[in-house]
Amino acid sequence: MADEMASQFREHSIAEFFKKNRQMLGFSGKIRSLTTLVHEYATNSLDACEEAGILPDIEVQIEQLDNGHIRITVEDNGPGIPKKLAGKALGQMLAGTKFHRYMQQRGQQGIGASGAGMFAQITTGRPVKFRTGTGDGKAFSADLKIDFKTNKPLLEEEEEKDSAYRGLWIQAEFAEVKYDKGEYSPFEYLKRTALANPHAQILFIEPTGERTLFPRASDLIPEKPVEIQPHPLGITTSDLVEFAHASKERKLSSFFVNTFSRFSQGKVQELKEALPEVSMDMPPDELQWEDAEKLVNAFKKLRWISPEMDALRPVGPEQVAKALKNIYNPEFMAVAERKPKVFRGGIPFMVEAAVAYGGNAGRRKADGSVGGDILRFANRVPLLFDAGGCAIIDAVKGMDWRRYDIRDFEKEPVSVFVNFVSVHVPYTGAGKQAIADEEEIVEEIRLAVMDACRDMQRYLHGKVREAGREAKKKAILKYVTQLAQDLPLLAGKGKPKEIEKKLLQMIENKYSQLTLDEAEEEAANGNGVKEEKPETGNGDEAKEE
Amino acid sequence: MATGEKKPATKKLEELGESMLSEVNNGESPTFETLLRSRGNILYDEAIGCLRLGNKMEQRTFLNVAQARKFMQTVAVAAKCKKFIEEESHTSIRGLFYQLKYSLGEEFDEELFSEQEESNPLIEDLEVALKLKREDLNLNTDRKGVVAGSVVLMDKFGGESTEIDCAKQGRSGWMVPSDVDNGMDFISVDADWVLVVEKDALWQRLNEDKFWKKENCVLITPKGQASRGCRRLIRKLANKKLPVIVFTDNDAWGWYIYWAIKTGSMNLAYLANDIATPEAKFIGMTMQDLKDYDFLNKLTIKAKDVDVKRAEELLSYPWISMHKPWVEELKTVIKTKRKIEQDALQGPRLSFVGEYLREKMAKKKFLP
Repeated sequence: MADEMASQFREHSIAEFFKKNRQMLGFSGKIRSLTTLVHEYATNSLDACEEAGILPDIEVQIEQLDNGHIRITVEDNGPGIPKKLAGKALGQMLAGTKFHRYMQQRGQQGIGASGAGMFAQITTGRPVKFRTGTGDGKAFSADLKIDFKTNKPLLEEEEEKDSAYRGLWIQAEFAEVKYDKGEYSPFEYLKRTALANPHAQILFIEPTGERTLFPRASDLIPEKPVEIQPHPLGITTSDLVEFAHASKERKLSSFFVNTFSRFSQGKVQELKEALPEVSMDMPPDELQWEDAEKLVNAFKKLRWISPEMDALRPVGPEQVAKALKNIYNPEFMAVAERKPKVFRGGIPFMVEAAVAYGGNAGRRKADGSVGGDILRFANRVPLLFDAGGCAIIDAVKGMDWRRYDIRDFEKEPVSVFVNFVSVHVPYTGAGKQAIADEEEIVEEIRLAVMDACRDMQRYLHGKVREAGREAKKKAILKYVTQLAQDLPLLAGKGKPKEIEKKLLQMIENKYSQLTLDEAEEEAANGNGVKEEKPETGNGDEAKEE
Repeated sequence: MATGEKKPATKKLEELGESMLSEVNNGESPTFETLLRSRGNILYDEAIGCLRLGNKMEQRTFLNVAQARKFMQTVAVAAKCKKFIEEESHTSIRGLFYQLKYSLGEEFDEELFSEQEESNPLIEDLEVALKLKREDLNLNTDRKGVVAGSVVLMDKFGGESTEIDCAKQGRSGWMVPSDVDNGMDFISVDADWVLVVEKDALWQRLNEDKFWKKENCVLITPKGQASRGCRRLIRKLANKKLPVIVFTDNDAWGWYIYWAIKTGSMNLAYLANDIATPEAKFIGMTMQDLKDYDFLNKLTIKAKDVDVKRAEELLSYPWISMHKPWVEELKTVIKTKRKIEQDALQGPRLSFVGEYLREKMAKKKFLP
């Protein structure tokens, strides 16, 4: 694998590399490819809006064309792209933006709109159509193609019009993709995107013409992510190779000092001593995979100052609650608030967890039944694929759900929301759909989910008890008439109707109010019945006084 | 039965109903209390020489989900039995079950009783709680057991009275009914003692030999394990000061029949001294017989695993292991894995059975 990757990075054109390795970038399988394409466009839109401080309005349409192709159209109300940058931004792989700026951004996950365009061109030979305006009175539209050999955008049909249009409209045609409204579909992807981005409004139009609006749940625009330099501990070999090749520094030493946080000249010296066989004077764009791997391993052996903590941008508990309510309208929900933690000895991360129960929560299975659902996110981006081996799945499935009154996670209407927040997300593969199951991460996710579940357990316990009381009452009521008839026969006196009335009254008294035992149990739990914070739960039904 | 006069069973049932009714009138959940019949509450009472229930109580209350159905069923059984008594009609416990097997109502997918296993223990509960036998509740059990001898009874049944002379029953004998208490009275008992013979074949042998006439005994066969009625009859004859002698196969099964007659059984521990006859003695067959009657050694058969197991079980009962001769008998069976049947006594000649019994009676060769 290492050799293969190394040779791949010796390819002159990144576009050629993509052509050969698209499965690594999430373009494997027809259904997954389509979702990945929607992801590339939607995250671009969300990132752009966030940076510009705009509440995103995004429209995604998927059409099934007669020739078997699928056409994707995405439009946003973002800041738009200036005419002179448009070609580069949409048609050149690794154009640079992602590599000079290191921040907690959604777009880290993919290869962006240019990758999507390339996929269109490879599968259908057709250009990407786009129209954009920055609101400065001019709107620019063109057809875009990519020269695979040179990794350069080629614009055709360029047109500039007077218009106050602001935003980006982009449309491309693809083959080797398939629309299927299942758990891996663009529909599910956008629904989850809305969940983790309650400030966004997303309209989705399916090939059938069915329109689904995921309405905005909050007017709060997330804070702009802070741009920070990557920390040496958070870097993988492929990241290092990519960064190095994109660097304009002359030597590896200055590339390190200027690209990474906490990388001083002193650290360069330490590195030289630790790894004498790799020359610090090497031009970064000549860095080979083998050396990059050695460097990354050497980084781990040095002592570093921790990265900045304030770069973390969680969704926020109130926003999560709003989004959950908006999408699932659950019977109950609870959100955990956790402090940032570090993994790998210094990379800050934070876990946001929430549970929703009842309502539309849970996963609708093919047979119509409902089961537990795990909603995975990394920096607000839904992770739909590669569930096996993901830290979130490990943590959630590893829990003893019965402790939380969920008898069988696979059979209850419960949705578990987990957002892994970090500048550096340790993905397990280039497809970036699963978070490495490192111990510190799994443990923190587990604690966060348990936090949220504790509140839910209190609610469910009350519910179970209520249901139990009802069931008990019913069980006894069945026998009242028979007993009321037999008792006078046995005693030789008494009237069935009167006895029945008295028995019914007794049952009513016993089972319609809290029994003494239950009341004591409640008291032992604290202040009687758990009161939910208004913004995190509509737990009225939990109250029993 | 004279009108206006209530039978004791009717009175007891009514009292039970009245107490429940007053609980309801006081706004309390009606309850039913009885002695626990589980193994843990069965003990051997040395003073009276039989198995009986201990003092552990079981309470059933209507306003408890786990007990509501059982409580309601108990009352239904009690009410139904009261009706049988009032109507002077009898049925079996299966007949009772069918009388109570009906739906609780259209809206419920449930029957008052759906299995006889549900109603049977409730009958026993009532027997214990009311200190009655099921026969008192007009519930019959299967008849088993045959009698011949100088005993005359009056059987009042179906509005008629029939005199039964057990000495004039020919080859078949008088069949012991389910209930030997209600409407069944001794007119005269002229026999001197009671001989209980395990097997019907041996009873027929002794009947043909006029053994009961010659020895002036009451000859009874329970035909294997003794029924409730048969045990009760033996008890009643013992009450008339007649010694009771039991004669069974020489194996653990036969011996257990003796012990059930003598001390009562686990299942019927709640009837205690009503059906046990602690003064009963065992005449044979025994392992000692092999020494006294040499020909028997050629007539032993192999004890099966169940026989050995049964012997071990008997040894574990303290009321049996307290008797040294019995421990030796049982240990011999376990060791030699041999047994002898009563029938083997017919080996030399058919009438030898009588000779054997006479000899042992004369020498008082009994086991306790």
